[in-house]
Amino acid sequence: MTRYIVQRLLLLPFLMLVYSFVIFAIMQAPPGDFLTTYVATLQASGTSISAETVEMLRHQYGLDQPFIVQYLYWLHGLLSGNLGLSLEYHRPNAELIGEQLGLTIALAVMAFVLTWVIAIPAGIYSATHQRSPLDHLLTVINYVGVATPNFMLALILMWVAFAYFGLSITGLFSQEYADAPWSLARVGDLLAHIWLPALVLGIAGTARLTRIMRANLLDELNKPYVVTARAKGLREWRLVLRYPVRLALNPLISTIGWYLPQLFSGSLIVATVMNLPNIGPLLLRALINQDMYLAGAILLIYSFLTIVGTLLSDIALAMMDPRIRMGA
Amino acid sequence: MTRLATTLTLLLGAVLTFSQPAGGQTKYHEAPTLTEQVKGGKLPPVEQRLPEQPLVVPVVEKVGEYGGIWRRAFLGPADANNYVRVVYDGLFRFSPDGADIEPKIALGAKASSDYKVWTILLRKGARWSDGAPFTADDILFWYKDVLLNKDLMPAVPGWIRNTDGTAAKVEKLDDYTVQFSYNEPATLFLTAVANQDGADGSYAMFLPAHYLKKFHAAYTPKDELDKQAQAASFKTWTELFLTRATPYLNPERPTMAAWSPVTRVSDQVFTLKRNPYFVGVDKDGNQLPYIDEVRFTYFADQQALNLAAIGGNFDMQARHIQMTNYPVLKEQEKSGKYRVLTWPTFGGSDAVVNFNMTYNADPEIGKLINTKDFRVALSIAINRDEIKESVFLGLGEARQGVPAPWHPYFPGKEWATKHTEFDRDRANKMLDAIGLTKRDAQGIRLMANGKPATIELSVVPAFGAWPDVAQLIAKDWEAVGIRTVVQIRERALHFKLNDANELMASIWNEDTTAFPFTGNAKFDPRVTPILTLGPLYTRWLLSGGKEGVEPIEPVKRIMQLVDTARTVGRDGQIQAAQELFRIWADNVFEIGTVGLTPMVQGVVVVNSRLHNVPTTVGNDWPLRTPGNTRTEQYFFAAK
Repeated sequence: MTRYIVQRLLLLPFLMLVYSFVIFAIMQAPPGDFLTTYVATLQASGTSISAETVEMLRHQYGLDQPFIVQYLYWLHGLLSGNLGLSLEYHRPNAELIGEQLGLTIALAVMAFVLTWVIAIPAGIYSATHQRSPLDHLLTVINYVGVATPNFMLALILMWVAFAYFGLSITGLFSQEYADAPWSLARVGDLLAHIWLPALVLGIAGTARLTRIMRANLLDELNKPYVVTARAKGLREWRLVLRYPVRLALNPLISTIGWYLPQLFSGSLIVATVMNLPNIGPLLLRALINQDMYLAGAILLIYSFLTIVGTLLSDIALAMMDPRIRMGA
Repeated sequence: MTRLATTLTLLLGAVLTFSQPAGGQTKYHEAPTLTEQVKGGKLPPVEQRLPEQPLVVPVVEKVGEYGGIWRRAFLGPADANNYVRVVYDGLFRFSPDGADIEPKIALGAKASSDYKVWTILLRKGARWSDGAPFTADDILFWYKDVLLNKDLMPAVPGWIRNTDGTAAKVEKLDDYTVQFSYNEPATLFLTAVANQDGADGSYAMFLPAHYLKKFHAAYTPKDELDKQAQAASFKTWTELFLTRATPYLNPERPTMAAWSPVTRVSDQVFTLKRNPYFVGVDKDGNQLPYIDEVRFTYFADQQALNLAAIGGNFDMQARHIQMTNYPVLKEQEKSGKYRVLTWPTFGGSDAVVNFNMTYNADPEIGKLINTKDFRVALSIAINRDEIKESVFLGLGEARQGVPAPWHPYFPGKEWATKHTEFDRDRANKMLDAIGLTKRDAQGIRLMANGKPATIELSVVPAFGAWPDVAQLIAKDWEAVGIRTVVQIRERALHFKLNDANELMASIWNEDTTAFPFTGNAKFDPRVTPILTLGPLYTRWLLSGGKEGVEPIEPVKRIMQLVDTARTVGRDGQIQAAQELFRIWADNVFEIGTVGLTPMVQGVVVVNSRLHNVPTTVGNDWPLRTPGNTRTEQYFFAAK
């Protein structure tokens, strides 16, 4: 087991190197560079910038260097722990990402908790009361939840809240708390706002999880040990929760690692639509404006978390299922 | 120019008449929050904070009350001009109607009779927002250490350049007088000065020398600067200097504006607080601004911003409000507790088709585009009423890209509507007459080489619903037998293709008609980057005729007119401008569709309690609207 983990960990730097190259190459793929976009923005506001100034900036930012030189320069910075400078914000990327990190994680954890708190009981109910009216209703909701893109859901909820309740539900804070120092009142304000985005972000996951839970549990419920336990007079709810549910949860737990990258990036489109101050909109802006070092930094962290998340899932699975531990 | 000079003299006179030297009869008043600070010994009394001759700002409705927060929204650091427009921190500024230029931080200006020498007078006793005196040295610092420093400014900007390429001479006559000497007459000097306010990430023409010297290589040892630059992740001291000199990137940087930043434009809420040293007062001697604070809330998405506007979350905002939301905004006026004003664009046309006169990827198409009758035929083939009704909500009027009727540069109604009548029969006849008589099975006209005549129309969804305009135009052009392919493109790609001379025709707006001789006017191919005329004209002119394509006669005449206007007085400028626009409308290098709509930042949402916001103003980027409405005199009524 240890060897397996060490093997996987040794692979990590190599994978990161490959990812960093791919990320950099993709960011360079669109036509133009940060300055082309910048000049276009200026043009749109009706002003010009002299060709000499553009060239000076291009030189200053190193955008006139060949691709490979730019990449090596970036890599050198990364290896010495420097995520670089955002061309648009004129601030270090690490600082920008750090600022958004707290709320990003809060939102993701909230979404994650909501998903599990709703999905597991719903799945259990659906399985134990198969084909009951409530099971059918939950099934319909689940299908709708899986099939509706969550940004669409966000737009609909925003419209409903505005049209019928006169509420503007964008953002995570009321205006008076947006830049206030942390206080109990501000936490309260955050809690009053965060549940809806968390619900929107979690709804597809909830629907999927409910279905999986239901299917897993249905498999278990018909097994002889359940029948035996029931024949021995064990109380129904105690029986279900203690044995089949625990087994049905196993496959779900092995996917927990996949949430790690999501914790970090959240949902890019939902966050943008609902105006949430997390890393999603930051990444989107960086990509649109070709602020490549910022976009690169975010994507790189994202890749790192994906690798680590997958690794954690694999380890969890290996611990639970000895058949996975090949070559161990 | 005489008119402008007279206006300035009059304004100067007005200032002199209204204001009294400190310690005289006039009693100045200040915001209650500042009185507290004065009592606490944190601030000198208001008399000592104001210059000897303060700027007396006329109010729109009435003298206001102090207090309140002006809530606005912005779209992130790239939207820094949002701040620039609100504060309009310039020595001079455009008047609300945009017809005049008035002193703001400066006291006034004088020109020599030949317009070669300009003198700017400063206000004695004016102070930066940190209390340091504002003097001629702050302009000289900009001139010597920024403008003439090759590391910071590789090229001298056009407005302060002599025709031989050198910079005009700037000298300090005394602490409050600065003289600008050009080799040639510079009749447009003040128009340019009114825009040297640090817009678009440039340097303003007056900088807080006392603060910035510690970030400048001429005053601070190189290794110390390098250390500072490195600590902030910058590669060179020039990057460090730029960020320290830019108010919205650095709240410590003192400003002269009514409100100074206390957070950064990269923060979730970008906040400005009242500048206790602002030079302006109202007619009763109340120091301005009335409003305590301006708060820009960050929105990642324009739609979310518009929804918040409809909900009444902003106190005064036109930027990023989409014209298509006008009916909804109107409907929600009562429940949102706001009123909606419309400030139409300052002339021009809000969706135009720019032809690339130097298109050469397909010589047959290039030839057609260069045929005037072809362009005229395509212009009259367009049903502008339909565009107006379906895209512009019935607002505005059909017109070419010429100034508004109330502007002195207006060439006359017959030119504003030249080639804008919808006449499909005549368009067909004209296209037949230039030899496009054969058609294919679908009715598309065939060119001499047997290929169908096809125009590609490149569109960027930037300000307006231009993709919709493009679709309507495409339908009209196909009806006269010209195949039209609409390409909706991302902005950077569009500009890149334009630079590479690969666009045939594109849609943008014509918004520079009030300023055809300065800034980024779209009529002069020497301006870069340019979306009008053709990139190869520009290349020909910049390479001295070695590369590119020589401009045709009407374009050369336009360039002559621009050069003349820079050296003649106001009457001469008006004449030159009118001729320029007659040429422009007649040659249809650019097809104007509908203009004078509030498409560009012209739908204004104003809190019902906010007063002194004018109902009609000149609305344009060079005017820094709403900056030209004198935002410092806006105020909130108690109820």
